[in-house]
Amino acid sequence: MDSNHFSGRSLPRRKFLEYSLKGGLAIVAAPPLLSSVFSCSGPGRDILPALDMDKATLDRVIAKALAQGGDFADVYLESRNSRQIIMEESRFRSGLYGISQGAGVRVISGDKTGYAYTEDITEENLMRAAEVASYVARNSKLVTPVNIAEAERESFVTVVQPLEAIEDIKRIEMMERANQAALDYDPRIRMALIEYNDQVRSRVLATSEGVYLRDELPMLFFIVQTMSDDGTNRHMSRERISEHSGFELFEKETPESVARRAARESIAMLEAEDAPAGMMDVVMENGWGGVLIHEAVGHPLEADNIAKGIGAFTGKMGEKVATDLFTMVDDGTLPNFRGTINFDDEGTQAQRNVLIDKGVLQGYMTDILSARQLDLPRTGNGRRESFRHIPIPRMTNTFIEAGKDRPEDILADTKSGLFVQSLSGGSVNPVTGMFNFTCREAYLIENGRKTVPVKGATLIGSCLGVISSIDAVGNDLDFGPGICGKGQMAEVTAGQPTVRIRGINVGGSRA
Amino acid sequence: MNYHDLAGRLVSRGRRLGAGEIEVYIQNSRNLSIQVRNADIETIQEAAAGGVGFRVLVDGSMGFSHCNDFSDKSLTETLERAIAFARLTTPDEHNVLPGEMPHTYVEGLYDPSIAAVSMDKKIEMALEVEALAMGDERITHSSGASFGEGDSEVIIANSRGMMKSYRASVCSVGVSVVAEKGDERHTGWEFSSRRNFGDLEPLDEIASRAAKKAWEMLDPRMVPTQRASVIFDPAVARSLLGGIIAAINGERVLQGASFLKDMMDERFASSLLTIIDDGTRPKGMSSKPFDGEGVPVGKRTLVEEGVLRGFLYNTQAARRAGTESTGNASRGGFTSLPGIGTHNLYVAAGRHTPEAIIANTNRGILLKGVTGYGINPVNGNYSGGATGFWIENGQIIHPVQGLTIAGAASDILNNIDMMGNDLDLNRSLAAPTFRISEMQIGGA
Repeated sequence: MDSNHFSGRSLPRRKFLEYSLKGGLAIVAAPPLLSSVFSCSGPGRDILPALDMDKATLDRVIAKALAQGGDFADVYLESRNSRQIIMEESRFRSGLYGISQGAGVRVISGDKTGYAYTEDITEENLMRAAEVASYVARNSKLVTPVNIAEAERESFVTVVQPLEAIEDIKRIEMMERANQAALDYDPRIRMALIEYNDQVRSRVLATSEGVYLRDELPMLFFIVQTMSDDGTNRHMSRERISEHSGFELFEKETPESVARRAARESIAMLEAEDAPAGMMDVVMENGWGGVLIHEAVGHPLEADNIAKGIGAFTGKMGEKVATDLFTMVDDGTLPNFRGTINFDDEGTQAQRNVLIDKGVLQGYMTDILSARQLDLPRTGNGRRESFRHIPIPRMTNTFIEAGKDRPEDILADTKSGLFVQSLSGGSVNPVTGMFNFTCREAYLIENGRKTVPVKGATLIGSCLGVISSIDAVGNDLDFGPGICGKGQMAEVTAGQPTVRIRGINVGGSRA
Repeated sequence: MNYHDLAGRLVSRGRRLGAGEIEVYIQNSRNLSIQVRNADIETIQEAAAGGVGFRVLVDGSMGFSHCNDFSDKSLTETLERAIAFARLTTPDEHNVLPGEMPHTYVEGLYDPSIAAVSMDKKIEMALEVEALAMGDERITHSSGASFGEGDSEVIIANSRGMMKSYRASVCSVGVSVVAEKGDERHTGWEFSSRRNFGDLEPLDEIASRAAKKAWEMLDPRMVPTQRASVIFDPAVARSLLGGIIAAINGERVLQGASFLKDMMDERFASSLLTIIDDGTRPKGMSSKPFDGEGVPVGKRTLVEEGVLRGFLYNTQAARRAGTESTGNASRGGFTSLPGIGTHNLYVAAGRHTPEAIIANTNRGILLKGVTGYGINPVNGNYSGGATGFWIENGQIIHPVQGLTIAGAASDILNNIDMMGNDLDLNRSLAAPTFRISEMQIGGA
């Protein structure tokens, strides 16, 4: 079962209740009617009064959580206000507004975690959650929590035009501009789907180590899908922009430019022919193609499966696992990036983590629990989807560092193979290391030139195989925004320069 | 709190605040998740949660809002948000709410005894299923076992006189283990998920299936790129069915974004393919008395011997298509608008045993795992990664992994040439083993 899934589609409208084994190796899906329990809801306005719980109360909750023993406890309070507006077939189909708030109490005792949450944030409910969470610590040694005090964390997010100050009519206008630009691009563009999402997430964090933190992060996510139809073929493409940002994001990148990029792909792919099958060389364009290493290398470097002794990179620290050209970084501090977090959902300061340096494995991504289990530093990767979830090791902004090659030289130097220009997404089994991802826009390479477009093919391989087969890295590092699922959702970016992989299995429909 | 009364009051309040029509969707849930690993507890999570979603129509325009705070002030504010948002959207004569209709009675959806089983017993079950799987000497590591349960109550009321509710439960137990040989690792996981506690499968059966899935994949070999038969195990049927379901979604069809949009009452697949959607099966994991907007569910034949017989509609899409809702409004909980989805969907059983299908296969793959997005519902293109077993002369000869399979949906579905008799309706998306006579396989 491939559990770490980097969704190439927009946020799922329905999400199944999942009882996932920690690390997400096995997921047992229950019927959809139970979904709201774990479903990601939206909203966030002002920090709600409920998050204003005083520090003395939080100290009492933490003390209660550790009353039966345990090594660590924390309280996480969250409120989220969200908006979603959908335009389909040139009509504003629906507007959604959501408010969601709640708080969870966690206890870690040795390798055990207890967690309970409430949506009605009162001291009484938090004390009850603390009692439930403390169940796992029965009969363990007692520790004395440190009283909480305000902690300092650096911020990497600046906002010029706060979302709360933007009138809905402005949002509508951006969508109309995108829709018009898509339809004007070519008469064969039959439909555009425009999805505007924003949210403000406020969080308060208090831990038994004495840390108290509070912040508020806005997020804007704008998605344009276009469908072309020439009577014979059809192609649906997708372009997205997303940052922790105010409305100024649309000044950096206009709705028209997003829409035209989507429309260009829709038209180009009408000519697509059947893709070839079997092993071939692949050149991947810069940007969102970074989803390849997000899947193939990123997930297997999350420390939870390493701590279990079953991850594909278990026991390989300090070893040469890739070519000298390959340096891979996870960095939660890139200014305003979608995957940037300031501090993670356990209070650890976000930082730049070099995971693989010139081919040598240098680090795993940890949360508090896996760092304790492996005796490693905390890297600021303990993230959670909402108060309904416990933190687990997750990526932030993950990318291959730029190399020296010019992208055009990489292509010219490739006799034959596949040029992958955009991907839908992919997934990996972090234990076996087997990954897959699906092309949306791809071309044959013949004698060092991009030639005919080919239909969406799945590319598959093993994590250790692929990174030792990267033999060219471009100087054109770029990024794309995405949604990563691992039993719970996380906002991330993936990035890479143009790279070449020697030999990857392509799922084409002709020999 | 009496949620029926609350729902009724909120409908009236919505009307007073300016909604022409209003639907109130309340959901309350409780769940417990226990994870164990290496014979000890790893995680225990418990929660109760609930909230309200408001769908309002103002002069034919639709707005939606939701909140998880039942205080009077928050409910009113959230309602006002939906009404304000409705004024932004485009009026659409097809935006209507269903009226009150009698609903189907479905047996066995709720088992109150799950919650009465002690926490210690549930922990014990997770520990036992792990121990049983680890007892297989070919297994080297555990990646954990779990017990999970939940129950949920849904209340739907609307301004056209609807007021209905139902309650359902689920429980599950599962395990995931690893088999290793040198640097090679394989995972095997298995679970049993049921509406009723007493219907869970025996732990030793779950454990031995999980262990077998891990060790049977050891020592995979590559095969050359070629065209050959592909046998779909029931576990991977979703890979083909998902794209068909998306392509008969009535809304996609109306948008022209479906490879089946012009195929109603036409043959598009082998006559061995019959697909049925049944929301009424007793104890069914996706059964329910009514759909996500209160319309009764039924049992429908969607594909009959290869001929397309039905699209899926909710009320809005049906109205636009000039037909009636098929009771296929799906709902991702109180936080989302009704979409379109299936209930218990299955491929009707054929007459061959899985063993006979393998024995009749000259050369091909028995698929156990497929990755990728399945059939692309827009253009019917199919491509995926494949693992399973290689068959020569009717015999399984070795495991394979790292292969790809691909083709056009029309070719694949027309080339179904053997249909198995091993249908297990406990899955909400179910199919027997079936064979595609020939597909492109990518390998060495």
